[in-house]
Amino acid sequence: MTDLRKLRIGIIGCGKIADGHAEVVKHLAGAELAAVCDREPLLAEQLAVRYGVPAWYGDVGEMLAREKLDVVHITTPPSVHLALTRQCVGAGAHVFLEKPLTLTAPESRELIDAVVAARRQMTINYWPNFDPPAMKFKKMLASGVIGDPVHVEAFIGYDLAGAYGQALMSDAGHWVHRLPGKLFQNMMDHIFNRIVPLFPDAEPEVHAFAFKRREAVRGDATDSMLDELRVFMRGGGVSAYGSLCSHARPVANTLKVYGTKATVEVDFNNRTVVTAASQRYPSAVGRLVPPFQMASRYLSEAKKNANQFRKSEFHFFAGMSRLLEQFYGGIRSGAAPPIPYVEILRVAEVMDRVIEQVYPATAGASVTGGAR
Amino acid sequence: MKILVTGAGGFLGKAIVERLLAHGETDLRCMLRDTSKARGLEEIASRYPEAKLEFVTVNLRNLAEIGRAVAGCEIVIHAAAALKGSPAEMFMDSVVASRNLLEAVVNEVRPIRVVLVSSFGAMGVAEMRRGAMIDESTPLERHPEQRDVYSHSKLRQEQLFWEYREKYGFELVVLRPGVIYGPGGGHFSNRVGLSLFGRFLHLGGNNLLPLTYVDNCAEAIVVAALYPGANGQVYNVVDDDLVTSKQYLSLYKDRVKPVRSVPVPYFALMWGSRMVERYSERSRGQLPAIFTPYKTRAMWGGNQFSNAKLKSIGWQPIISTHEGLERAFAAFRAEPEKAK
Repeated sequence: MTDLRKLRIGIIGCGKIADGHAEVVKHLAGAELAAVCDREPLLAEQLAVRYGVPAWYGDVGEMLAREKLDVVHITTPPSVHLALTRQCVGAGAHVFLEKPLTLTAPESRELIDAVVAARRQMTINYWPNFDPPAMKFKKMLASGVIGDPVHVEAFIGYDLAGAYGQALMSDAGHWVHRLPGKLFQNMMDHIFNRIVPLFPDAEPEVHAFAFKRREAVRGDATDSMLDELRVFMRGGGVSAYGSLCSHARPVANTLKVYGTKATVEVDFNNRTVVTAASQRYPSAVGRLVPPFQMASRYLSEAKKNANQFRKSEFHFFAGMSRLLEQFYGGIRSGAAPPIPYVEILRVAEVMDRVIEQVYPATAGASVTGGAR
Repeated sequence: MKILVTGAGGFLGKAIVERLLAHGETDLRCMLRDTSKARGLEEIASRYPEAKLEFVTVNLRNLAEIGRAVAGCEIVIHAAAALKGSPAEMFMDSVVASRNLLEAVVNEVRPIRVVLVSSFGAMGVAEMRRGAMIDESTPLERHPEQRDVYSHSKLRQEQLFWEYREKYGFELVVLRPGVIYGPGGGHFSNRVGLSLFGRFLHLGGNNLLPLTYVDNCAEAIVVAALYPGANGQVYNVVDDDLVTSKQYLSLYKDRVKPVRSVPVPYFALMWGSRMVERYSERSRGQLPAIFTPYKTRAMWGGNQFSNAKLKSIGWQPIISTHEGLERAFAAFRAEPEKAK
């Protein structure tokens, strides 16, 4: 790849998640972070200075006109994703967008249509699905060892006192509070982008309920934010549970797929993919052996992880690197983008169904932007 | 004379309010991020019944909220700053917040004297030899990207104040405190060491700690704020009779609680920092470069500190370092450090 001209990358929106993008792009062969932009120039400046980016801007139009970018990463709040995407593809750049794609599924469709009409490519930062355990799971599924999925459980833990949670809870004006689906809308892509690819094409049934478990009343906008979400889905012969859970510990991040041939649990935090052992021997002996089998499977996962660490392939955003390599590669070769657009839209549609049910009053309302 | 104090509900802010009252300033406006922070200030105010304390709740990220807080003030003491959070949040709350405050200041009709609480972190100490004297002539940091984000944000904040002064010509006084300590403050500056994997790595060795007891630091800010000749000046703030990192840790163990510490000599720390930096580069950031030779030189190289310029305008510490440490450690013993 090094013999090719490096793709010129830009970032719009220099909030917290932009650090992750800058860190990943910095180490990707075949790409250079050419410019960053934020409507608050001081934020653009700090990102540029810390990552040695040669140019920073407070105006998107100016950056696009001057920098001739191949790809723009849009890491702003979602309310401005559509407008920014139009501007970027209009200037000839491909776009890589943070989740959620937009505020509603129809708006997401408009965004993808705008990209297609401009003959550009887009993808969304579903990086956990490109992390090593997710890639291993996809291989297992394709090989047939799991059989057909019967039931799926996707679980995302969230720490309201963690780095992101605290930013949210300490600022009633944070843009996440203005999303129609609030915290859930900012997180649940990662629930449904795991479930949707395992469902048949038909529109699924979606039953959602949510509640607020924390007791503290702060007397501001943060109070109206629900923090526990449970979703039940069915599509054809496949069912799923999706959970976003802010109080259970440890803060887990898992996918469990019950297939016709085997049941597999993917742990995104611990980077393990383990098939449940079944009883192959009769009576008490049958119950004695499986825990040993499970222990041995976890041990082999631990060895594999240690090996990846040794080879410096164990980065936090390993999945984003993989996703971007595929996306940038597709741009060079003209191949299809790594995540099918239809899949992105199906995720957006499920999210709309959930928001309608858990925040009926705000669903479809528009919001204004802010720093991510 | 009406004086605005930003960050008035904070560790240093409360002490500034108290020292202003002690200096006979009775017309104070305290800017707070949320009303819960007013509790400690009300208790202070009750000791000065003749004073008028006004509380304004402002989020400095929102320019529109600031004008009313600045209106009618003759002095603005800017003590609000971010101490933690992501880099973007720290720049929002230290740098963007400062720019917003400055915009409000320059939009006022009456001239305002601005007093900035900057930091030792703004100075380019890593490029000086070990043991060099740090005073107001020490140049500003030239490689903020190689320092920690706090130092970077405080440097950019201070630069912003000088840029605005250059452009708009208001009176500006800058104070650069060293390590501010006292009851309610942090137990250990990174200059002493860091907790890592259940052990406390004692990194400061026999380096002098640039300590300033919170009330002494507040006194320095108030003295400089009220001193007519301070316009355009920088004052470093450190107390007298400073202790070394080793003395601090040993007294802490004696007065507060046992600490399982591992002393790391400077040469070993430097060697380790080189290794960490190289590994981080070679592994393409698999582990962050929390130690680098540059950071180590800045934080643990060891320096001498001067407060002569501050004393020349009439500042004297109100609490000796001996007494300050006893007070701080007594409070630490009573209230264990919050988990980070």
